[in-house]
Formats: sequence, C-alpha cells, structure tokens
Amino acid sequence: MYEAGFTVRPPRPEDAEKLAELMYRFYAFNEEFDPAWVLGENADIKAREEASKLASGETADIAFIAEFEGSIVGYIRGYLRALPMLKESIVGVITELYVHPRFRGKKIGALLIERFAEEARRRGASRIAAEIPSSNVVAERFYSKLGFRKFMTTFIREV
Amino acid sequence: MGRRDPVQLHRVYGGKIEVVPKVPLASLDDFSVWYTPGVAEVSLAIEKNPDLSFELTSRWNIVAVVSDATRVLGLGRLKPEAAYPVMEGKALLFKYLGGVDAIPVIHKNTSTSDFVDLVKSLEPSFGGVNIEDIESPKCFEVLDILRRELEIPVWHDDQQGTAAATLAGLINAFNIVGKNLRESKFVLFGAGAANIALYNLLRRYGVPASNIVVLDRKGVLHPDRDDIDRLLFSNPYKYRIALETGGGGLRPGAGPEEALKGADALIAASRPGPGVIKPEWISLMAKDPIVFALANPTPEIWPEEAKRAGAKVVATGRSDLPNQVNNALVFPGVFRGALDVRAKGISDGMVIAAAEELAEYAKEHGISEERILPGLEDWKVHARVAAAVASKATEEGLARKPTTYRVEYERALEIISRARKLSRMASE
Repeated sequence: MYEAGFTVRPPRPEDAEKLAELMYRFYAFNEEFDPAWVLGENADIKAREEASKLASGETADIAFIAEFEGSIVGYIRGYLRALPMLKESIVGVITELYVHPRFRGKKIGALLIERFAEEARRRGASRIAAEIPSSNVVAERFYSKLGFRKFMTTFIREV
Repeated sequence: MGRRDPVQLHRVYGGKIEVVPKVPLASLDDFSVWYTPGVAEVSLAIEKNPDLSFELTSRWNIVAVVSDATRVLGLGRLKPEAAYPVMEGKALLFKYLGGVDAIPVIHKNTSTSDFVDLVKSLEPSFGGVNIEDIESPKCFEVLDILRRELEIPVWHDDQQGTAAATLAGLINAFNIVGKNLRESKFVLFGAGAANIALYNLLRRYGVPASNIVVLDRKGVLHPDRDDIDRLLFSNPYKYRIALETGGGGLRPGAGPEEALKGADALIAASRPGPGVIKPEWISLMAKDPIVFALANPTPEIWPEEAKRAGAKVVATGRSDLPNQVNNALVFPGVFRGALDVRAKGISDGMVIAAAEELAEYAKEHGISEERILPGLEDWKVHARVAAAVASKATEEGLARKPTTYRVEYERALEIISRARKLSRMASE
C-alpha cells in the first residue's frame, strides 16, 4: 500500500533542525488563508524552539516524523482533547501535518495519520480529528478521502 | 482588399457571418416539411434517440466559439461585447478553412463554475465547443472539466492548438537535426496556457518528465521553490509540473542560463521580445539547438539573432518569418474530422494524430531548416488533418459514426472546397 523505504517514528533531538524547517513551511503555507495566520517576525526562531521542544519530548503533544533515506520529509503533530461529559471523552486532534512537496503523492500523509491514530488510541482516544483553515480546500479533500467527516466549525474575530 | 480601416469595413458589412438556408425553398408550402407540422415527426424521432440530432439537424456541423472576454488577444480583459468581433473572426476562419459553421457565444459568467455550467447547459445546441480568449489558469480548469463532462468535442486553441502545432514543428525540427525527440532535453520558457499544454502533450507523446524543465517568471518550476505550496492553490498545473519534473535536477532558484545548459530544444511562449531570450543562453545549449520563440507580435528573440548564436532550426508565431507555428494549421482540420465522425470528444491521442499528420504533410512536400511546417496557403492540409483525427477517433472508440482515413479525406475535401466556394461567392 505504501511506497517502500519510508519510516515513521517519533522525533529525536537530532531531528530538531530539519523539523523546524518543515514546521516553518507549514505555517508559511497557512499564512495566505486568513489574516489570523500571518507569521510573526521571528517565526523562524520560534519554529526552532518549537521543534526542539517536540524533538526532545518535552511536550505532551503527539508527534511523528516521516523519514526517507536518512532525511526527514514530513511530520504530524497534535494533542489529546478531553471532553469529560461525553460518553467517549478523548479525541486526538491533529493540528499540524506537512509533507515536503518533493515527496508528495506517496501516501506519506496517510501513513503519518495512521501512526498518530494508533498513538492517540493507545492514550485513550476513541476518535481523531483534524483542524484546518476553512478555506484550505486541498486539505479538506485530503481528509475527506481518508474518511474524516466535517465535525466542528471554528469562528474567529478581532477583539 | 487592400489596407483599409477595419472599423469602417466591419461597419460596411455589419459583421462577418450570416445564416443561409441550405434546403430547397420553392414556396411557403415547403415550410410544412421544414417547419410545422412536418418537423414534429423529426422532433419525436430525436426524442426517442437524442443522438439523431447529429443526423437530422445542423447540430453536427455547428460549433460554439465561447468566450468570457477575460483575455482577448493581447488586450487583456474586455467587455464581452468587445470580444464579439474576435469570435466572429474565428468563426470566419472555421468556415473558410474547415467548412465548420461556428457561432460566437460571448457571456458574462467569468467564474469557473458559472462558465462551465453555461456551456454544459448549451451542449444540446452544438456539435462542438471551442473556448477562446480565457485567462489562465482558469482556462485549464474550464477545459479539463468540459472535456470530462461533455459528450462533444471541446477545444481551447491557446492550449491544444498551439501545443499540436508546436509538436508538429518539433517532430520535423528533430528530424532535421537528426536527434531522437523522445530522448532529448527540453526547456519550456514561460508557463502560460501554451507551454503547460505543450508539457502535457510532450509527456503523452513519450518524453519523460525528467527531460523537461519549465520556467515561469520566477525561474524553474521546482519542488523546493519557496512558493511551491502556494502554487498548489493558485496554479495546481504548475505545481504538478514542478513535482513531476523535479525541476530537472537543477537548484531551486535556477534561471534560464542554468536550465539551457546542454538542452536540445527551447520553446519560449512567454512575453513579446526581442531581448527576452538572450543569445548567450542559446550558445549554452547542446549541438544544433532548436529554438521556438512563439510570443506575438514579436518573438522573444529574432530568428537572425538566434541563428547567429548557434540555433539550427528557429520557429516563431509570425507569418512574415520562416517556420510559422500557427494554430490555424490545426483547429480547422481537427474539428472537421471530429465533427464528421460525431466524436464524443477530442482525446490527446487525436491531438497527437493531428500533429503527426501535419509533420508528415510537411515532410512529403520537402522539409528544411526554413520549412518545418506546411504553409496556410495549402488548404488541403486541413483535409489531411481531418482524416487523421477522424480515423484516430474511430480507433479509440470515440466516433459515433466511425469512418476510415480515406473516406474522411474525400469528405473533408468536399466540405472544405464547398465552404471556399461559398466564401468566394460572398466576395462577388
């Protein structure tokens, strides 16, 4: 089902630099969808900080990277959301997913999601969800194809 | 006709085309056959089998020339009415060169989905659709959707027409320099309708993606380019090319010099020159380079200059220079052939058949560095293209009315020569 040669694993400290680049690309990509997504001036520095936190396992986030021939070509990141009143109270929420353009079309995104789902389930989740900018039609098609349905709508305004 | 004021001439004739009856009309009684009550039987027959509309009405030979006027000639976006004379001119070419009755359909539905919906709902009126003068990248999406969803031929000259004429020229140019086209390195300079369509056609023709580099204003289309994710939304066609070609193994910011090093053919379809393509770039290319500079009204580089820099075969879009790459060599014959077999569409295979036939026709009449394509003055070329397209449609199972090359050639000759006679009558 998947192309050979790709591995998915949790990030390690030595992955931080490459991970930072992919995280930066992910945010830069989202920038065009809404003014709320405009990058800060030191976004590249922040990306490095975030990446090293993630790579050293200092956060409760769920994160995986996809590796091909020794280089990191994609990543997924999310967290567990608790909704204690519900019958099934834990949802794994994907907040960031990015595959380097050179490696797209090889189902790496789907592979990352599968590993994310496994880990979320292991930690007690019964469902996974994905947050995307509402005008990102490409992401919408992508998640729909992978069996996700529309679930929540987020409204935003300036205060 | 001499050089006269075009506005004045258009005023004199009140436009360029008109509808003329083709059935005998001896008296008003004949209308009881052509119109009510007789026509009701014809309606009922078609009601049972809508494909009969291709046999019992003029539909089989009527093509809509559809435009939203968002990119008219080199003039940019105009009011729809202002595109009318252009569409009428195209209709005139359709009739004169291909014997096709074409009707201008200009409209105000400039969004992709409105445009597509309009044409889809008009499908029963026409035997084919020619979309014209639409801005890029909308033109790609409109053509893709209509080709997929309509059961009649759909064509966009700026894409398929230019690509087919270019491929025909390339086939003979490679013949002259003695290289194998499918193993050669191509640089496509400019990533508008013409070159994106050419990229797709070259791929279909058997050129591997890794042998093609495409450049836009910002440089090589490359998967590592900064704006690559944005392209996914703003121009998915360029995005796909970047990923498929991998940027030809060049570095992400590479420009034309790096891309042209060792290339066998340069096809520029970008912006009017001269001075857009530099002679120094051409001298970096492989031995006996082929240079097509297709911008209008002035090519990206003058042929003389390209030749001094080492180009072996040079083509442009201009009729006053050797080797004119002209859409008008393609679309009349393509539609003639497609309409005659009541084709369900125009496949890439049919486009390639048209290009190969054009190249073959030129070869039969003797090709040289200065003559890789037929001239427009030889009207029989359209019948040849029609025959190639019709037999290809038959072979691919796209013909409602299958035919052979030979039969279609004779039929096309007859239809086109009749149209030429009619046109001559109009000038008497």
